[in-house]
Amino acid sequence: MSTWGMSLSSSRSMRRLARLEGWQRHALALACSAVAVGVVTVVIQLLKPVAPVISLGVLYVFAVLAVAGVFGLGYSVLVSVASMLAFNWFFLPPTGSFTLSDSRNWLVLAVYLTVAVVVSTQATRSRSRADDAEQRERETAVLAELATALLQGGKIADQIDEIGRRVALVLDADSARIELGPPHPAGPHESPLPLAAGSRAVGTVYLPDQANPSLRVRKRFLPALSSLLAVAVDRETLAAQALQAETLRQSDAAKTAVLRAASHDFRTPLTSIHAAVEALEAGSIELSETDRRELMTTIRVETERLIRLVSNLLDLSRIQAEAAAPMQELWTPDALVAQAIAALGGNAGDRIQDQVATTLPPVRVDPTHAQRVLVNLIENALRHSPDGEPVSIRATNTRREVIFRVIDRGPGIPADQLEEIFEPFHAGSDGGGAGLGLAIARGFAEANGGRVWAESQPGQGATFAFALPSEQPPE
Amino acid sequence: MSDSGRILVVDDERQILHALTTILRGAGYEVDVAATGAEALAAATIRPPDAIVLDLVLPDMHGTEVCRRLRQTGDTPIVILSAVGEERQKVEALDAGADDYVTKPFGMEELLARLRAVLRRVAPPGEPLHRIGELEIDVEQHRVTFGGKLITLTPTEFSLLRLFAENEGKLLTHRTILKRVWGPAYQVEAHYLHVYISRLRQKIEPNPARPRYLVTETGAGYRLVNPDDQ
Repeated sequence: MSTWGMSLSSSRSMRRLARLEGWQRHALALACSAVAVGVVTVVIQLLKPVAPVISLGVLYVFAVLAVAGVFGLGYSVLVSVASMLAFNWFFLPPTGSFTLSDSRNWLVLAVYLTVAVVVSTQATRSRSRADDAEQRERETAVLAELATALLQGGKIADQIDEIGRRVALVLDADSARIELGPPHPAGPHESPLPLAAGSRAVGTVYLPDQANPSLRVRKRFLPALSSLLAVAVDRETLAAQALQAETLRQSDAAKTAVLRAASHDFRTPLTSIHAAVEALEAGSIELSETDRRELMTTIRVETERLIRLVSNLLDLSRIQAEAAAPMQELWTPDALVAQAIAALGGNAGDRIQDQVATTLPPVRVDPTHAQRVLVNLIENALRHSPDGEPVSIRATNTRREVIFRVIDRGPGIPADQLEEIFEPFHAGSDGGGAGLGLAIARGFAEANGGRVWAESQPGQGATFAFALPSEQPPE
Repeated sequence: MSDSGRILVVDDERQILHALTTILRGAGYEVDVAATGAEALAAATIRPPDAIVLDLVLPDMHGTEVCRRLRQTGDTPIVILSAVGEERQKVEALDAGADDYVTKPFGMEELLARLRAVLRRVAPPGEPLHRIGELEIDVEQHRVTFGGKLITLTPTEFSLLRLFAENEGKLLTHRTILKRVWGPAYQVEAHYLHVYISRLRQKIEPNPARPRYLVTETGAGYRLVNPDDQ
């Protein structure tokens, strides 16, 4: 994750020192103390010929200083005493013995001890300030990285593990698990720390039982972490809501467009029917028997058009609402085609040349859906074929699919419209509910795991293909 | 052709009730009407009709429920009126005992033809010989001929054809066919019913690509018809 930097590597050595096991730390401190006293003793021995030994004793202050700075008061007192003893043994007459009768010795010891106390107190204070500053820096760095990562739009769920690792570093624990939302029961060997932003419970951090972050760190870091997580959670919720609202708006816009187009398509047949009925009822108009029959035909044809439009709209709404749950059964391709031709009604079947081998494997499909797909494709082909020209139906199979092809000899479809024509009421549709046929065909095909697409060369007619998953036939 | 008999029409839409009454009276039937399921059940008990035309959606109970209750007391033929989008309920009603259906908006001729078919006495199962158009089925001899030419069928295909022949003109739902041909424990066959029908058609239809005898009622079932009657 690029947003997670490497800023946490500084002063690892000090932290490592602080983390050493107790006895290791003591051993190291003792060794360092001994070395410091030893080194100063050697230096004094070397300088003895050029300066009075009594004034060289002050050099032991350096050993006290160094140990006080690194290991604190306890060891610096030890070094003070050790220095005094070493000075006494090696350099103060009588050498080779501890004689503390001389008041100078007491003075020397007092000076060393004072230095030890003052320096180590200062060192401890500055070290704890440095530690604190470093801890704050770590916290700030983690929070900054967290803010960047979360607000850049990443999903919280994807980052929560990485956040946990960072939080573990800050809280001085081996690991940390963060759960958003209401608290879960903690796992074995885990203790929960609530994450609260103000009065709002954002989640919980679970730390291993042996981790014991300082109260100060918890009070300072956890609220900041909680606030950040709360903002990120809110941002994610709002983004989801915005997406939902946008989807709704778009589907609303689509529905309005369909409704507008549909009401136009309703008005035409209604106007014809209305006019025809009024003409038949009006006493003032003399109608011949032929006229009456023509008006009756108008009413019937336009009524059928309305019926088709309503049933198409119903189908479309079912597909769009994904309510067209298919009841899939095994069907042979030839039976599906035969049934579609029968459903066309009238003598439409006379214009159709179908060649569907009975040896094709069966397909799994809802037969009412398959019928709607084929009928709509065939009706579309009949509508776009010049009068008297036949429409062909073929079927082939690949390893996994049976593909039906409905081929007309109409004007064909320009390449840039091969997809557009599947939109409800697209610009090229010719009313009468026809503008829905292809959209419905595709919708039902897809509801059954199939596909519908157009293949065409302008001027060479159009081919509509309908593919369905095939199965092995029974024995 | 004038028909006779008493028809009970059940629909809560007054306009449709009115239109149906007019059409049926015009065709020679006597007509009783009911606007709810309860009224229909009462009317069927008081004055048993010869057939019932029943809307699927009624204010007090579903048409399927009316079918089920009517079937508890008798076998008066029932023709369902169903709308687009009610396909599943339609099949439920057929499985609950309805004999046939027409889809709203229906044509008058279609409705009258369905009524005639359900009113026609169905050949009793014991009948040895069925003649449907050019199709001849001799149940005792297990012999099927078409236009005098012998057709060889597998035992399953013969059972299917025999069931259809005994119910000539009647709609048989998928479930009915499966139960009657394979027994109540049918399992795997359910998947292959349409495939078996398709094979049967290859043998008995003069042009299997345009079936005229064994016709599909998409999503509901099949019926065997005499093409000369259509």
